[in-house]
Order: sequence, then C-alpha cells, then structure tokens
Amino acid sequence: MPHLEDLSRPRLAAGCRWAGEGESRTLVFPEGVLRLQPTAQAILERCDGERTFEQIMAELAAAYSASDPVKIRQDAIAFLERLRQKRLVDF
Amino acid sequence: MASPATELRTQEWESVFQQSAKLGVLHVHLSGGEPLAREDLTQLVSCAHDCGLYTNLITSGIGLTQRRWDELVAAGLDHIQLSFQDSHEASANWIAGTRAHALKLQLAPMLRQSRVAFTVNIVVHRQNVDHLEEMIALAESLQPQRLEIAHVQYYGWARKNVEALLPVRKQVLESMETISAAQKRLAGKIRIDAVVPDYYARFPKACMGGWGRRQLLVDPRGTVLPCHAATVIPGLQFENVCEQPLEWIWRQSDSFQKFRGEDWMPDPCRSCDRRTEDFGGCRCQAFMITGDATATDPVCSLAPAHSLIEEELARVDLIARPALDPRSPQSDQSWIYRPQPK
Repeated sequence: MPHLEDLSRPRLAAGCRWAGEGESRTLVFPEGVLRLQPTAQAILERCDGERTFEQIMAELAAAYSASDPVKIRQDAIAFLERLRQKRLVDF
Repeated sequence: MASPATELRTQEWESVFQQSAKLGVLHVHLSGGEPLAREDLTQLVSCAHDCGLYTNLITSGIGLTQRRWDELVAAGLDHIQLSFQDSHEASANWIAGTRAHALKLQLAPMLRQSRVAFTVNIVVHRQNVDHLEEMIALAESLQPQRLEIAHVQYYGWARKNVEALLPVRKQVLESMETISAAQKRLAGKIRIDAVVPDYYARFPKACMGGWGRRQLLVDPRGTVLPCHAATVIPGLQFENVCEQPLEWIWRQSDSFQKFRGEDWMPDPCRSCDRRTEDFGGCRCQAFMITGDATATDPVCSLAPAHSLIEEELARVDLIARPALDPRSPQSDQSWIYRPQPK
C-alpha cells in the first residue's frame, strides 16, 4: 500500500458518500454511518480526488490558523490511513 | 389481520421509503427472494435514493445485464452485495440449489467499473469451511472493497439442516485463524467483516442491534417485522404498511414494543452489565431452542438453558460425518431445500 504523500489525491471510496447537510452531515457507507468532528469533516470534504494532500493541508492551515499545522498534518495522516483501512478512502 | 395476497406495488414501496426516511432511517437493504425479479427495481432504487436513503442491493446476480446495471447505477444505487456459496462451482450450486455461481464470477468486472461499493459475501458452514482459504482467494480475485465471511446462523432452513451445516469446534477455531490471517494480509485492500456461529460464542449476538431499536424489515407483502425470523414467535401480531402508518408500527405497535428496552428481561439479563450491549441476544433463537421467547438467549454461557446448546454441539460433534458429496445421490437425503417461492 502506498503511503499518503503530498502529491496523493485522496478521495472517498466507491459507495462512500455524504448524507444530510451542515452540522447533521454524515458519511454513509456499506453497513455504516459516521458523524465526524468538525476538523475531520473539513479534511474529508476536501478529499475529492482533485486536490492533493498538500493543498488540503494548506486549506486546513488557513481555516484553522490557531492550530499547529504540524499537529493537523499528523492527525490528518493518521485519520486518512484509518479510513483507508476501513476502505472508506482511496489514495 | 389478513395480509394482502400480493406483493406491494411500486407506489406502496415508494411510500414505505418516504415514511422510513422521515422516521430517520439511513440505509435501505433491498433483499429477497431476488430483488432483480422486480421489474420496477430501478424505480424503487431511484425513489429510495431521492428520499436520501443509502441504497443496498443484496442479490444473486441472476437477471443483472449490463443495461440493467447501468440503469441502477444512474438511479443512485450505493452498494451491491453478491453472495457466494463455495469456491467450487458444483458444490456452490448444490448448496444453493441454483446455477448462479459462474454468472456471479462474470459480473464482478462490470460491478467494479462503477462508483458503487462492491461486497462479496461468502456463507460458511461445515460442508465448505475446510476450503475457506480458497473461498477467500476467489473473493480476492473479484477485487471487492469488502468481504463478508458469514457463518450460517441457524434459523429457518438452516435450522432444519443444522446437523449437516453446523461446523465442529475445531473447524470454527481454524476458520477464525484463517480469517484473521486474511485480514492482516489484505489490510487496506479488502475490508473483511466476519460473523462467527453464535452457538460457539460465550455471549449472544446483539441480534438486529436490539429488538425494535435500530432496524425493521418490510416483507414483500408489506408486513413489518422486527427481524427476519420474528414470525416463529407465537402470539405476536404483525402490522402491514397498507393498513397502518410506518411510524405508528415502529413506535406503538405491540410487536415492536414486545421486547424493546429491558422490562421484558428475565434474570440473568436483567442485572447483567452486558444487557446494553447484546440486549439479551436473539428472541427467536430463545424461542426455537427453549420454547420461551422471553428466555435469555441460550447461546449465552450465563443462560439457564445453555446446557441445551452444549448438548446440541456435543451431538453434532458425534454425528459429524465426512463432508456430503454433491455428486453422491445419497447426499440429498440429509439435505432439505427451501421450496422455490411462487
């Protein structure tokens, strides 16, 4: 399995999509549903297969300027790797 | 209450989906029988999708042409699950009583080209569990995102065939090792979800996520059930969507209230810390094995009736013969097929 890199373009796996809007937005997929923390949702909403991971991180750093970008990046890598194990994200 | 003699019409199903979405339902599983036998399936998928439901199709694949598939994808289907009975064609067809195996193998490439989630489900029991590794390899070659390895649960026709299907303990333990090795090997590629036979578990399964708690089932005629097997329990009256609003059936009707929550629970469930995890196990299984639907699920090691399960396992262990040979004429004598639905 390739690691998540700056030039990776993560996207939701087939059959994994958003349902609902705003704060009640959830991620739905076979046999499950996830309600995400705001930061996690912000990351995942940008995983459209177009943006690179580097772009996603730059956008997050701008949106959450009070947070440490290194920490955001570490958390994002761990989060997306976990979702890949569940086959909810491809990269 | 008399159920209508025929299957729900398109508009009736559409109303079920609309009412379900309003109740807060998130997923709809279109299962069977064979959902592809409904000519209006695409319309039903389209309606469920428009209601905001995540739409799953559980199918044998029989009747699925490229054209029909394209229509289903365009209608908003989210997930398709194909079930396999074995890695060997003859044996798979023998168990299923159909000739669907080769067809399913041909369908996989078509399914993968879409953005629809693809799950392969393999059904495991004493007759095939010894080639579980081969079955996993077959599933892997189809490249699904998800693989469900489901030991048979002993209800309905499986219960009638329990002596031919229930694996012996050694087989169960070996299958768990095989599954765990495959999960490691395929991590990040195929997600493997496994269901072990609860006869061998220490604690019961949280059947349906708790009675009347998370799921409901609407049968082809519109009867609403708390689970597939609920009709085995005597004295329960089930309502029909043609006669009552779904919300009333779910919230108020006797059949859904009967085992909801904890008031019905006997000891040891009543005071057990696990009651909020497994909800006392399966009501139908409790009835089938003990004759009392309010008993603690006898598969639970704490259940007063657990000895019935232990006796059954011991008996199955004794009579476990070499696997039935699908080519042997005698094999049919110990095997009961479900009659084809009309």
